[in-house]
Parts: sequence; structure tokens; C-alpha cells
Amino acid sequence: MRPYLATARRYRWLLLTIIALIWGAGLAAAFVEYKTTFESEATIWVLRASPELTVTSPNDPSQPILQTAATQQADLLDQLLLTDAFVRDVVRQTSLRAALDAAPDESRFLERVAKGFQVQTHGTNLLTVAYVAQDPVLAAEMVNAVLAVRADRIAQASVTFSAAASTLYQQQFKVAQAQAIDAQSAVDKFDQSHTAPLSDLEQHQRDQLRLALDFAQVRLGDIKGRIDQATLAPAVLAVSGMEFQVVDQPRVENSPRGGTRPAATIAAVAIAAGAALAALLVLLGTILPAHAKGPADVARLAPVKLLAAVPRVPRLQGSAGRPTNIRASLAAIAFGGGGADGDSNE
Amino acid sequence: MSAVPITRAFDGLATRIDTLGVRSLGFTSALRGEGVSTIALGTALGLCDLRNDAVLLVDANWLEPSLTNDAGLSGEPGLAEHLAHHAKLEPLIRRPHTSRIAFLPIGDRTRARPTLRALGSFLATETSSFETVIVDLPPILAGERFVLPWAAVLDEICIVLREEATPLPLVRQAVDTLPVANAPYVILNRAKASSVDVPAKLVAALR
Repeated sequence: MRPYLATARRYRWLLLTIIALIWGAGLAAAFVEYKTTFESEATIWVLRASPELTVTSPNDPSQPILQTAATQQADLLDQLLLTDAFVRDVVRQTSLRAALDAAPDESRFLERVAKGFQVQTHGTNLLTVAYVAQDPVLAAEMVNAVLAVRADRIAQASVTFSAAASTLYQQQFKVAQAQAIDAQSAVDKFDQSHTAPLSDLEQHQRDQLRLALDFAQVRLGDIKGRIDQATLAPAVLAVSGMEFQVVDQPRVENSPRGGTRPAATIAAVAIAAGAALAALLVLLGTILPAHAKGPADVARLAPVKLLAAVPRVPRLQGSAGRPTNIRASLAAIAFGGGGADGDSNE
Repeated sequence: MSAVPITRAFDGLATRIDTLGVRSLGFTSALRGEGVSTIALGTALGLCDLRNDAVLLVDANWLEPSLTNDAGLSGEPGLAEHLAHHAKLEPLIRRPHTSRIAFLPIGDRTRARPTLRALGSFLATETSSFETVIVDLPPILAGERFVLPWAAVLDEICIVLREEATPLPLVRQAVDTLPVANAPYVILNRAKASSVDVPAKLVAALR
């Protein structure tokens, strides 16, 4: 631990500068993020439609309901926001329309817009739709637009679905009507060909024909009821608005809102990055061998003391014109003779 | 040869050693190639001038006896023979006519290794006629067993390191290896002019 502390002490000004720069930049970015973030939010109360008002048969066992009403609607909105077509329709209803038309990459633009939406459930019947933007007016516009486009899409889908259901029921009605007419004809023919009193066998045959006629008429009535339901139910739901009620309309916020979490994230990342970088520098500064860059660095070897510094001496020109060095010169002085060539004072 | 004596490069070092008043001094390093032998040679020449007396320069570098090679005394008997067979020291010491250095070559390194007892006697008795004894030692980390006996008997040990080259952690490791009471000194070799006070004029003159 001591070497790391020594390294940290040695590079304290560099470390403090790095930490100050990174933390300062991170905190400044977090502050700007917080101050320029505006969130607009709509609170919606949702109810599941009465089985009587649904187009599909309430007796159909193939439709399990595993979600709460709020989760169902939130999932629906999330799925719609995944599609470019839906987001494009939303953007076209806002002041971002011009930006969309000018965007070089429409898909990326729509993806960035979609990321600004947040759909959250609060309990079984409450959900919120929020949009975060740097412009408070735009945030409110986006939430209003997404609700409007959703309503359009739902209405359109409902009409389409009810039309398809009506067509199917009409076909079934024609078949059932033909069966009823046939059953009625069979009963009439039997009555004309047989006069009273009827034998037991004849009476039994007539009862069978009457039963078939009754069944055909009941089925006819049932299908007719479904046709009426398929036509009226969407209209009733649309008029009542009970399935999707906007309790709190989105507002234009005048003070920053919704930027706390991203700002905190930016600040936390900056603080962690600064600390990590400082730790890395201390680690490298301790592990990597440090060289003495001058007398001051020798002080790190305390209690060893610096006795003297011997200067670097450049190569000398020898008598034969070849470069010679201080070692060879010293050897020549000390021992006589030419001495050996080599590197300078090594 | 320049008009300025090359030994001036070691004037500062020799002066400081003279000021310390030590008689025996060993030069070593943490790693090879730090310039220990050159420093030992230059310092010996500087002290000859400064103390106006002969300086005994001992090549005790069992790993790379470059001073013996420089003196052209490879294969000649020297310190190893003295330590091994108690051969008389005086005939082994060479006294070149070009300087006042008395040089003891290493001899046949396979014959003996430095021991504490032999070195104690060598410094206290055999070389008592010399006012100054300079010993060129091998690097500590590579030749610890050849350095430690000398470190116990020499007055001072100097560790040579190259500026901007020698890793300080290795120097620290080498320092920790030495079991000396007094902390060794460090000599910064091949220092830039900014690191050195006196010889800056010398460098300029040599150019």
C-alpha cells in the first residue's frame, strides 16, 4: 500500500488536475442536462371494455386475459412506438414536422424521437405517457400527438375489425336463413300431405321437423344479434371513452423536469471515470519502473544520498581520426597505451 | 586529446569524496552497464591529483573485469592470487609510469572468491601504505556474493546509476541488499548539464 500512496503523493498535482477536469466536466454536463430537460406527462385511466361490448364472443375460451388493463394499454403503446409509421404520424402532428422532412436519415431521426417516450404503469388501471425534450412546448406536443395518433389507430383498427366481423356474420346469416327456410318448407309440406288425426309415427316425424325449424330460427336470431353488436359496440366504446380516459392532460412545464436521473447518471459516470483514471495512473506509476530524471529523483531513494553527478561527456576525436570515448581516454592516462574504444562514459 | 584534461569530468565527485575523508571506497551498481568502472577509474585519477598521492585502484569485478582488460593485464596474477595463496601484494600491484595510480588487476578469478576475513586483512594491513583505495565492484543484483564482503569492510559504498535509464525500484532493491550500517551514496552518471553544477564548462570545452 505504501508504494501506491507514495506514487499518489508524487503525482498529486497531476492526479488532482485530472480529477478536477473530469469531475468538473461531468458535473457541468449533468447540470446542463438537468437545466435543459423538460418532461411533459399525461396520466391515463384505463378500463377493460365490458365483454358485452367486445366484438369477439365472450364465450370464446381461446382468449385468456393475463394482463391488467394498464399493462395491456402500456404494451400496446410501446409496440406502436416501435414502428416508424406510428412515430412518423406522431411527429407530423408536432412542430418537429419540418425537422423530420429535413432529416437526412429519417429512420434514425424517428428512432431518436421514439426514445424520448416513456410509458409506465401505476397499478392495474393507471398509466402515464411522458416525453422528455429540451423544449417544454415540444414535450407537451409530443404527448398530445401520441395520444391522438393512438386513438386514430385504435378507431381505425376497430372499424376494420368490425367490418370484417360483420362480413363473416352476414355470410353465416345467409346460410342460417337458407336452413330456416328449408326447415319451414319441410314442415309446410308435411302439413299439406298429412291430415289429422296423425298416427304416432307421423306425429313423431312432425315434431322432428318442428324442432329443426326452431333450431334454425334460434341460430338466425343469434347471428343477427352478433351483427348488431359488431356494428354498435365500437361506436358505443368510442362515444363513452371509458376504455382510455386521459385524467391529466400533458402540460407545458416552465421549470426543468425529468432530467434528474440522466443528470445523476452523467455525474456518477464522470465521478467513477475520474476515480478510475486516477487509480489507473497510480497503479501504472507504481508498477512501471521509474527512472531517475535528475538529482531530485534520487531523493526518492532515501536514506540513500546523492554524492555527485557525473556529466555526460560527448565522444572525443581520437588521434587516428576515429571517435574515441572518455573510458579509452581515462585508460590511456591511467595505464598508458591506446586503451579500448567503446561507448562514452560506460 | 583535448586541451582540457578529461579527468576534470570527475573533479566534482573526487572533491566530494575527499571532503568525506574516506580511505577506502567501493563503486558498484544495481545493473550492468551503468559506468561503474569508468567512474572508478576517473575518480582514482581525480583523487591522485587532489591528494597528491598514489591511489590504489583494485579491480574486484568478478563478473566483468574491464579495468584489467583496459590495462592489458588479462591473465596476469592479481587480487585473486593474493586472496587465494596469500601471495605478496607488492609484486602484483602495477604502477604505470603515466599516472600515480597503483593498479591491482583481478587475476585468475577461478582461484578465489572474496571473503570477509581475507578482505579485512587486505584493507587493514596489506594496503596500509595507501592513503586511498578505490575498488571496482560488480553489479549488486547480479553479483551479490562478490559485493557483500567488500561492503562490510570498505569505508563507503557508492552505487552508480545512469540518469533516465536505471529503474529506481531496482536501485532500491540493490540498496536493500547491502547490509551496511551507513546508507550508501548514489552517483548519477551521464547526467545532463542541468543536473551538474561544476563541469558544464568542461562539456562545452570538450565540444
